[in-house]
Amino acid sequence: MKAVMGSAAAMVAALMVGSAWSADSAVPGQPGSSAPAKSGRSGAAVHGITGTWNRYPEIGEKPDPKFSPAPPVSPPPLKEQYLAEWQAQQQAAKDADARGQPLFSDYVKCLPDGMPAMMMGMFPMEVLQTPGQVTVIQEAYNQVRRVYLDEKPIPIEDAEPGYWGHSVGHWEGNTLIIDTVGIKPTVKFRGAPHSDQMRIHERLTLVPPMYMQDEVTVEDPVYLTGPWNFVYKYKRYPNYKMNEYVCDSNREYKDSETGGTRLRITK
Amino acid sequence: MRRIIVVLAALSAASTAELAVMAPALAHHSFAMYDSDHQIKLSGTVKSFEWSNPHVYIELNAPDAQGTTKSFLIECANPGILNRIGWKFNMIKVGDKITAIIAPLRTGEAGGLLKQVTLPDGRKFLNGGPAGKPNIQ
Repeated sequence: MKAVMGSAAAMVAALMVGSAWSADSAVPGQPGSSAPAKSGRSGAAVHGITGTWNRYPEIGEKPDPKFSPAPPVSPPPLKEQYLAEWQAQQQAAKDADARGQPLFSDYVKCLPDGMPAMMMGMFPMEVLQTPGQVTVIQEAYNQVRRVYLDEKPIPIEDAEPGYWGHSVGHWEGNTLIIDTVGIKPTVKFRGAPHSDQMRIHERLTLVPPMYMQDEVTVEDPVYLTGPWNFVYKYKRYPNYKMNEYVCDSNREYKDSETGGTRLRITK
Repeated sequence: MRRIIVVLAALSAASTAELAVMAPALAHHSFAMYDSDHQIKLSGTVKSFEWSNPHVYIELNAPDAQGTTKSFLIECANPGILNRIGWKFNMIKVGDKITAIIAPLRTGEAGGLLKQVTLPDGRKFLNGGPAGKPNIQ
């Protein structure tokens, strides 16, 4: 990791000489460009987002004084009638851990965590801007989400439930503004229940030359008292080659008696 | 939160502030099934080495504390995490004599979470940030 990350100077140098950057380094919105990107049609104007990114700061990484780490995600602002159950679930998870029997989960079962969890950057992610689309690939579980640029949001009742939902976006300066609907009720973030009325708003902002942040706002008139806001931050991970991730050998299983996670010792 | 704290306790190198930030993104699962406070050292022969997701596994034939040779299942991080800290998919082979420091399963079964492995050539590898460091050598 250290060898890849290198010094800040080396990273900047890598960005400067990388073929993706050298050809159009003066394009507004590009890392290193001082020219502000223009709002409006998103086709080719801004693609400084293309590249590999890692969560920031990485474990053990000393944060840059000029780019503060994001605060921890706050608890969901659930309506009173849902809050008690959520708190009980959180307590049950703590108790299970204290017993040494951590609760089994869909994630342990090798299901992807979906939106918005995949944006936390559990593992590195690759972002690609192509005409009309920004694609985010999260290494964990090979998750792929597609943000369709300059398209109108679909009616929320037409949003087919899934793990990553239906996302539309447009650039405003260095910020990609994304609106997502259609997250399956079983795809829960931090264990919070949600309805088919949930919307995820994101402001994915490039902070040249090295950083990016995702200001996430979850809205759900059925379950939440108001917007649930949190932020994820990223750092460029130049020259990183994404690993594949296929869960073809999961030895963890749910103990039928305790509900806890167990390790299958013999295959 | 406790599961996060358990993991965080092992990450002595990083500051509290950093850990609080990183906590939600630490791992595939809680490490509460492993006892990181009472780590053990195993020396033996590799029975199998499986390079796959969601975890890499080493099966190690090694004597336990009573001297009885058992097959221990040792959970490692995943190929992505391990590649990023310098492992290679073929750096451990069946028949290799290796030493592993593990946090044993709390159930008492012959298995655990890898903290550090020493290869036949003496090179030592950790198991990535989330799994934490060894507290014995």
